[in-house]
Amino acid sequence: MEINQSALDSPDPSAIGWADLPEIAVRLSPVPLAAQPNAYIRAAWEGRPYGMVTEVKVRAARAADKLNVLLDWERPGAATGEFTDSAAVFFPPPGGNEPPVTIGTHDEPVTLWLWRDLLDIQTALDPARELLSTGPGRLRPRDRAFGASGDRSSAHGTPASIEAASSCQGSRWRLVLQGDLDTALSAGRMGVAIWDGSNDERAGIGAVSSDWIPLESGKDM
Amino acid sequence: MTDTEILTAAEQPGANGAAHPAGQVAMVFDLNKCMGCQTCSVACKVLWTREEGEEHQWWMSVNTQPGLGTPKGWEQMGGGWKDGLPAAGHQPDRAEFGGGWEFNYDEVFYGGKGRSVHLQPRDTGDGTTRWGMNWDEDQGAGEYPNAYYFYLPRLCNHCSKPVCVTACPTGAMYKRAEDGAVLRDEEICQGSRFCMEACPYKKIYFNYVRNVAQHCILCFPRLEVGVAPTCARQCPGRLAFVGMLSDPDGPIHKLVEEWGVALPLHPEYGTEPNIFYVPPLAPYRLNDDMSIDEETPRIPPEYLESLFGPKVHDALQKLRSELERVRSGGTSEILDTLIVYRWSSLFGPFVTDPATLDRRPEKVAVELSPRGAARRDEEQ
Repeated sequence: MEINQSALDSPDPSAIGWADLPEIAVRLSPVPLAAQPNAYIRAAWEGRPYGMVTEVKVRAARAADKLNVLLDWERPGAATGEFTDSAAVFFPPPGGNEPPVTIGTHDEPVTLWLWRDLLDIQTALDPARELLSTGPGRLRPRDRAFGASGDRSSAHGTPASIEAASSCQGSRWRLVLQGDLDTALSAGRMGVAIWDGSNDERAGIGAVSSDWIPLESGKDM
Repeated sequence: MTDTEILTAAEQPGANGAAHPAGQVAMVFDLNKCMGCQTCSVACKVLWTREEGEEHQWWMSVNTQPGLGTPKGWEQMGGGWKDGLPAAGHQPDRAEFGGGWEFNYDEVFYGGKGRSVHLQPRDTGDGTTRWGMNWDEDQGAGEYPNAYYFYLPRLCNHCSKPVCVTACPTGAMYKRAEDGAVLRDEEICQGSRFCMEACPYKKIYFNYVRNVAQHCILCFPRLEVGVAPTCARQCPGRLAFVGMLSDPDGPIHKLVEEWGVALPLHPEYGTEPNIFYVPPLAPYRLNDDMSIDEETPRIPPEYLESLFGPKVHDALQKLRSELERVRSGGTSEILDTLIVYRWSSLFGPFVTDPATLDRRPEKVAVELSPRGAARRDEEQ
């Protein structure tokens, strides 16, 4: 996927400029039960369907030193229970060998830009955050992440600022995540994950892209 | 054994922290002395859960037994360990906890309707006004003249095999080495709430405002300076013991290990709680002619067994025989311990008077989630 220069300097899912950018359809599949981070989650979700979002449409553009990623997907149901919809894009370390379905490992943690559809009362929370992921549901703030050897370390630096804007029309989410362009281009690849809140999906219980989406710097528009 | 039945080392009961902490702080509640005054509940509420999003949280709560308790019907919600594996559980929702109500103060006090409108919770449409922390108080069971009930104070059990820690995907939950307190780093918690599902005692709450789960922290900042947890220290009935489980000279060890009169709640859940209860004795049943049936206790033994396991029968028998010995002119170390002649004997090494402490604020930056600070300090 080429990351072309655009005038989309602020995250806006309704911006007209998105229509000029190429769109790819990314197939999603449930994160395997065996990959879930602990025995409790495996026991609780055994035999219960999850990963209900099966496809997401992706567009991307750069503006100055920022990357904008537009995710567009059909939500299976209205999240009226305990959990809300959420989505993420994530970037592996340069030279990493792990497939996206792992959503990172201890040795190859991925940088994850997580967005949550916040409740009305969650006014003090940011809808999007950068986290480090060492596996499905193993999310931590970058400065509180486990090191590669399992030790707790601050070697991963401080969290970068992530911006997000979303709209939901009918049953369709359009979400723009905006973060550091260098993070994306140095990774050269991107994964996508979507959680269906109406199905109580969260942590490692969700849908993830089966293949990495290759990223390369494109032309100025 | 299937793939899902294999536990990694990090998933073993008691992992992700101290499987064998250097010391385990434990508590014993003598249910024969609890009068359901809720002083413990309010003391905890005032100290720990007064912030936004914590309105419905009662880390310490007292319920009438038999009863549905809080959250409503918690004993039927699953979780815990079964055959050495974590068992799936239900995550209680806001309606099942209930409470955290907003009242129509404006209407009653300032709206000119003080004679026509009574004070009542505002119905927010989410079911939270149809249950609460102490909803079924004093209902109990049985029929006059043999009705019965007793009070059961409950808090996090700070278990030796905390399944909540196993269920946490981020590692935010851990069992602290120095005192065995089960804690959560709120800066790491991502609000996935598997801990709430897995806890069979359902004493973990969710802060919807901050998107983090929260539960009793065993008053660890007080323990660190030698002060007993507030629920115990404020108890007017002198029924809450605090101390090190392994201290052979302390009342906790004697009541639990030596005399066997203090038992964990629902031991079949498999989490090995560190909160123990002296089970309630009760008057004997009355016959139809109002004579005393000295063969039949008013609280059915099978009900107490359903709460405290089969050891409850020996514990009750021990208590009865001790009572009989004293009534016959003898002495009883067990009863003397439970009477608590000296208030300070309840608190083991945690007898420091908080009024004697230098309580000036520390010169540190104010943090959004101060309860995460303990974990951060430990990691550094």
